Amino acid sequence: MLGLSKTFLESRAALCAFALLAQQTNSLSGPIFRVMPLKGVDFVLRNSPTPKKYLIETMPGGVALLDYNNDGLLDIFLVNAGHVANPMRSPYSFDRHDPTYWNRLYRQNKDGTFTDVTKEAGLANAGDTNYGMGVAVGDYDNDGFPDIYVTNFGKNILYHNNGDGTFTDVTEKAGVAAGGWSVSAGFFDYDNDGNLDLFVVRYLDWSVAGSKTCGSEQPTYCPPGEFPPVSNILYHNRGDGTFEDVSVASGIAAHKGHGLGVAFADYDGDGYTDIFVSNDVTNQFLFHNNGNGTFTETGLDSGAALTDNGKMLSGMGVAFQDYDNDGLPDLIVTQLPHQPYVVFHNDGNGAFSPQDRETGIAALSGKSGGWGVGFEDFDNDGWKDVFIMQAHVFDNIEIYDTSLHYRDPPLLALNRNGHFVRADPGTDRPVAGRGAAFGDVNNDGWIDVVTTSLGEHPQLFLNRGGNLHWLTITLRGKRSNRDGFGARVQVNGQVRFATATGSYLSSNDKRVHFGLGSAQTADIDIKWPSGIHQVLKGVKADQFIVIEESVQP
Amino acid sequence: MIQCMLYVCLLLQAQSEATAVPPEAVALVQSGLKAENLHDLDGAIEAFHKAADLAPSSVVVFFRLGEAYLRKGDFASAIPPLKRALELDPDLLPAHQLLGFALLTQGYASEAIPHLERVHEYAALGIAQLQAGQPSEAVTNLQAALAKNPNDPDLLYYLSRATVELSSQSLDKLLSTSPDSARAHEAKGQTLYQKKMYQEAAAEYEKALSLRKDLPELRLELGQIYLANSDWVKAEEEFRAQTQLQPGNAEAAYRLGDALLQQGKMQEAAEELRRSNELHPDMPETLYSLGRALAVANPAEAERALQRVVALERDTPLAGSAYLALASIHRKQGKAELATKEMQEFRRIQALNTPQPHNP
Repeated sequence: MLGLSKTFLESRAALCAFALLAQQTNSLSGPIFRVMPLKGVDFVLRNSPTPKKYLIETMPGGVALLDYNNDGLLDIFLVNAGHVANPMRSPYSFDRHDPTYWNRLYRQNKDGTFTDVTKEAGLANAGDTNYGMGVAVGDYDNDGFPDIYVTNFGKNILYHNNGDGTFTDVTEKAGVAAGGWSVSAGFFDYDNDGNLDLFVVRYLDWSVAGSKTCGSEQPTYCPPGEFPPVSNILYHNRGDGTFEDVSVASGIAAHKGHGLGVAFADYDGDGYTDIFVSNDVTNQFLFHNNGNGTFTETGLDSGAALTDNGKMLSGMGVAFQDYDNDGLPDLIVTQLPHQPYVVFHNDGNGAFSPQDRETGIAALSGKSGGWGVGFEDFDNDGWKDVFIMQAHVFDNIEIYDTSLHYRDPPLLALNRNGHFVRADPGTDRPVAGRGAAFGDVNNDGWIDVVTTSLGEHPQLFLNRGGNLHWLTITLRGKRSNRDGFGARVQVNGQVRFATATGSYLSSNDKRVHFGLGSAQTADIDIKWPSGIHQVLKGVKADQFIVIEESVQP
Repeated sequence: MIQCMLYVCLLLQAQSEATAVPPEAVALVQSGLKAENLHDLDGAIEAFHKAADLAPSSVVVFFRLGEAYLRKGDFASAIPPLKRALELDPDLLPAHQLLGFALLTQGYASEAIPHLERVHEYAALGIAQLQAGQPSEAVTNLQAALAKNPNDPDLLYYLSRATVELSSQSLDKLLSTSPDSARAHEAKGQTLYQKKMYQEAAAEYEKALSLRKDLPELRLELGQIYLANSDWVKAEEEFRAQTQLQPGNAEAAYRLGDALLQQGKMQEAAEELRRSNELHPDMPETLYSLGRALAVANPAEAERALQRVVALERDTPLAGSAYLALASIHRKQGKAELATKEMQEFRRIQALNTPQPHNP
């Protein structure tokens, strides 16, 4: 167990003082973000809604922030959906050969514009029988270049980054095609062997032929309970470019749900990364990593499966980070309107308790559905804030409930010592929001957001910045996986768990960012997945640093 | 009872008619009665018809003919002979009763009503009045019938329909006679709320409030609309106003406490919920919310409130929620064994309240 030591409590007190000071000194007023289109990005998320209300139509699509060419600038990968005919006729095709429906990779240029490099990168045409969903990014072969895994309704695709600006589809060789309806996915190292494994969330047992519509007044999308639940997939990385499906052996396959989101963190401090799966109208799953290749689903017994009054969540997006700076990763799960987003506070001892009311999140939610979500410190005051892409599932919800809207603006809530207060996200334009990826797009030390919305161009929420301090760390694992995923990084008392996974269908900047408030130096404490403990004292603030795993004892 | 009354009446009638009815007709009536006893209703009807031809002024003959048709289930054919019997003897109560039934079954509800009134047949009368658009009278008579058969499913069903109809009629009258009154806006608000048109419902309530601030319950209802619309701040305002208007209203205090709880104002919520519990002790919902409000600040009092919910509710979903909340408190306190037992209780109640899947 981590144990809450006196030192820890002292550091927390110091953090509170920093935050108070930070709030006083952060002189900028107005919205946190400037919301703008991405220059050079002409991508439109084409989900092709039809009167047949095929359920897949309303669920895309993911976005990833990654530096695929290691030039120090974040690039953007966007997952497109596909063409849905009305009605679909066998043999089913989503026309992904049509460039309109391609996934797209945009390389960031030095001037902040983007160039479409999809074709030259070998990422065009994601397969006519695949309707696109999400994306995961990780360097699964530790060659220093991030690889891309795309989830679909259909077969998933693993693109190996060749390191020369191109990718190769290695799905067949790697053995990670999955099948069925995959949604969110993520790379992590569950056995701490230094190779990134892959977790794939699947939604439900649905097919075009077995599609149905619901709704009394107008046809609309059916709730997940109309379709059988399915299990998720865990692929173990053998370290030779291939993966083994260990879903059954690990115990993951024993639990069927309606999964949509996934996030990783070591919630009980035992040195092994655990898995949280947000499920839609099923108990939420918290897979405790037993450290021997197996997992135990502890959602209900740990208090992280249901709302405080025992109801199932319509779980969609999820983030798994420490919002209250007690050193333990907490959860936020987004869901449908009239169901407040749920914050599961990590109480220690492997226990969670719903704290959505206490944190103020309940009062800020309920009118919109939530999708992509992140616990990120947008104002660099040392406390992780919340950003949520919002919209309803039904594109005709207004017929059923005039108080609700299909399109909604995002929610930004700033963290004031563990309590969230609404803030201006920089736009009130309603969109059918879905994916959100978090990262420092312009390398100014302030976290930005790239979002996706059905039928629209992606949006850039460019952080306007301020005068507080920050530190952004790139981890470079040696004995651990090269990305350092799973490392517990503590800076001036704050903790982040290194991961690119979380949100909804999306993959975040893998760099580990900390707002430092008024502090101009940082003490860094890293527990690598290998077990190596590394400490750096008095590191200067306001810089991007690379920390290589120390392999000396 | 009715059968007995019928027999006595007809016996008396038969005696008074004896001299006027030809013997052939009497023989045919007796033959018809025998056929009836042998369940030969067609034979009985034929005999009664022939008797009617021979004795066109015999009440007994026409009544027997109508009754035979009724027994056969031919309600339409029963009506003319029963009407003829009543022409001959307007006070023949059994004929009123049977004709009332026959007319009602054929959809002539208005025409059936006076006959059923004559014999105080409250159940059928109530149904006829409901069908004839007289829900107020229907409610009275169906309630009278229910006094004799309190659990009769048919009567309960018709009473429920009659009350809905009465409510609808009253509402129509309110809206047509006083469309701009506070009550009319309140009623419109209620209807819109039921249709989940929360914004429109709130607008109607606000109009009602602008006209009459003193209407009891108005703010409580408006607050609930805001609550349904996840508008916690406005809900709090309305519930708070209601508690000021009616400090003794336990529900208003509970609602205010719950709205405060939703906003994370735990201490204030606990105060209101305690007050509600003092005004109306042992309301399980109040105790549950109190337990939630105090879970962090005062776990001992929270535990007492939640234990009381469990004792009051036993196996309901609310008891399950209380066990879940107790388990959360005890997990935080490191009382893992206790939390495990409470989770077992939660699972047991969850299983009890989960609908079983249908076998194909």
